[in-house]
Amino acid sequence: MAWLHTWAGLVPGWVLFLVFLFGTTAFFQQEASRWMRPELGNSAVTVPALDAATAFLAARAPGGASWDISLPSARGGDPITVSWEPIAGSGGEAGRVRLDPTTGREIAARDTLGGWFLYRFHYDLHYMPWWLARYIVCVAALAMLVAILSGIVTHKKIFADFFLLRFGKGQRSWLDAHNVAGVLALPFHLMITYTGLVTLLFTLMPWAISANFPSEGAFYEAAYPPSPKIEASGRAAPLLPLPALLARAGFDARDGMPGYISISHPSDAASVVTIYPGRNRLGGDSRALYLSGVTGELLQAPRGAGPATATYDVMIDLHTGLFAGPVLRWLYFLSGVGGTAMIATGLVLWTVKRRAKLPDPTRPRFGFRLVERLNIGVIAGAPAGIAVYFLANRLLPVGLDHRADWEVNSLFIAWGALFVWTLARPAQRAWIEALAACAIFYALVPIVSALTTARGLIPSLIAHDWVFVGFDLTMLATGAAFAFAARKVASHKPKAVPGRKARELVEATT
Amino acid sequence: MIHAATFLLSLGGFGLLLLAMQRHQQDWLGRKLPPIQGRALCLSGFAALALAFVAAGIGLGWGYGAVAWFGWLTVAAALAVMANTNRARIMRTVRP
Repeated sequence: MAWLHTWAGLVPGWVLFLVFLFGTTAFFQQEASRWMRPELGNSAVTVPALDAATAFLAARAPGGASWDISLPSARGGDPITVSWEPIAGSGGEAGRVRLDPTTGREIAARDTLGGWFLYRFHYDLHYMPWWLARYIVCVAALAMLVAILSGIVTHKKIFADFFLLRFGKGQRSWLDAHNVAGVLALPFHLMITYTGLVTLLFTLMPWAISANFPSEGAFYEAAYPPSPKIEASGRAAPLLPLPALLARAGFDARDGMPGYISISHPSDAASVVTIYPGRNRLGGDSRALYLSGVTGELLQAPRGAGPATATYDVMIDLHTGLFAGPVLRWLYFLSGVGGTAMIATGLVLWTVKRRAKLPDPTRPRFGFRLVERLNIGVIAGAPAGIAVYFLANRLLPVGLDHRADWEVNSLFIAWGALFVWTLARPAQRAWIEALAACAIFYALVPIVSALTTARGLIPSLIAHDWVFVGFDLTMLATGAAFAFAARKVASHKPKAVPGRKARELVEATT
Repeated sequence: MIHAATFLLSLGGFGLLLLAMQRHQQDWLGRKLPPIQGRALCLSGFAALALAFVAAGIGLGWGYGAVAWFGWLTVAAALAVMANTNRARIMRTVRP
């Protein structure tokens, strides 16, 4: 089964590396967003902000057909976004405005996608249609599951060698590192891969729906009952204040706000308020509640989830980890780093294992060169791109057109440039220089942030702003880790073993 | 608090499991233990891991606790591996 593990891991390996790398950062999506929107305050949504949001909508879109209010989670990072739709034929205009979650005042935060882009990239990729990306990720994730399961069989000594990590022994060390990264967080790897496939369930297996429902829409209507269809009555009636409506629905500012509120014909006697809870509990109910906007009474109780839906929801929750508090979130993150390292060491191991067997090491075969070059360009290139994404967030002028797009573009420009650079260099030099570039970029992030905003590491420490402190320290630690890796590669001297002896060694260890 | 208890129990569990393996007994203790002691260490190691699960489950709820338990197992095992990798250095500090 070794060949299965090798090829199921290698061929989609670089996609998997990216999915794991960006997915790992996505556990801190909101924290990254907070750091990338330094103009936003730190507090969660306040009651005055809710009142201000409804007052704003009432002033801007009185008698609109619908109002929508998207609220940030308790972890912050996003503004309150209010949007409105005019009644068809009334000549009004639709609009969307961002409000400060603390004060409810309109804000002019820099235009950025924040941590959300890192999250979205891990399954929708970029510069390609989302459906194509999802097929690619689906296939890669399936291969990952195969690679993990066959890996447990192939590396049968993983439990006998559980505690072994021997450095300075060439191929043996890479195998140890691959095994340790894989086996220590094995429950996480299995869980995240399997539940990842579950998130793409309907892309992967649409037939359960197509065999039983006339259309996909019919399935969703049956699985997630839509709001009660209530026509506007034409009689004007005041909307209850939003905090009062939320209290009726069982939400309060301390225990967590809903994620999304939608109000149809808001100034009418027949207004309907739809409240979507945020996903902040493991297996928590995410079904919408429907309330009358005038009386606050419950129009339609959420139907209890069936066993299949409940299982599905728990799996999605396990995958996204939105329910996790700070401690559990760090555990998720560290396990994700382990998964990323497992893929990276596996990819490198492929070349290490084959280098000794090359007939002529000065002129390796095309396949070997391809894997080696992709390894350098992706494993060292993509993390550099992420660091540049953060740098671009601080350095691009606030007034730039399509600023958010340029932040994203700079991630890929930096990554692409580094990739091209490494192609032009001998392999070992390329590794050293790309890793050193990563180290420098990550070290620059807190420095540039301190120079361009008032929320650098030291002011944040004084203000006990642990999200900003944690972000900057994580950047420094990541930079240090890359510097360490670069130094390790630089001090590495390939042992001058004669060709035949090396071959025998390789054969003995495989 | 619960997190600390789960972590320490897991760490202790992996320490015992490490010592339950013959190859590591030679390294850490300087001699091989009789099989019966090895088995006792192995059992108590797994018992400690099970206790960690119970602690996490009771303290955090079984769903949340199970996730936290797996997370701490990973961290504790990683520390055990790190200790084993740096054995020579640790031994020198403990018993110069």
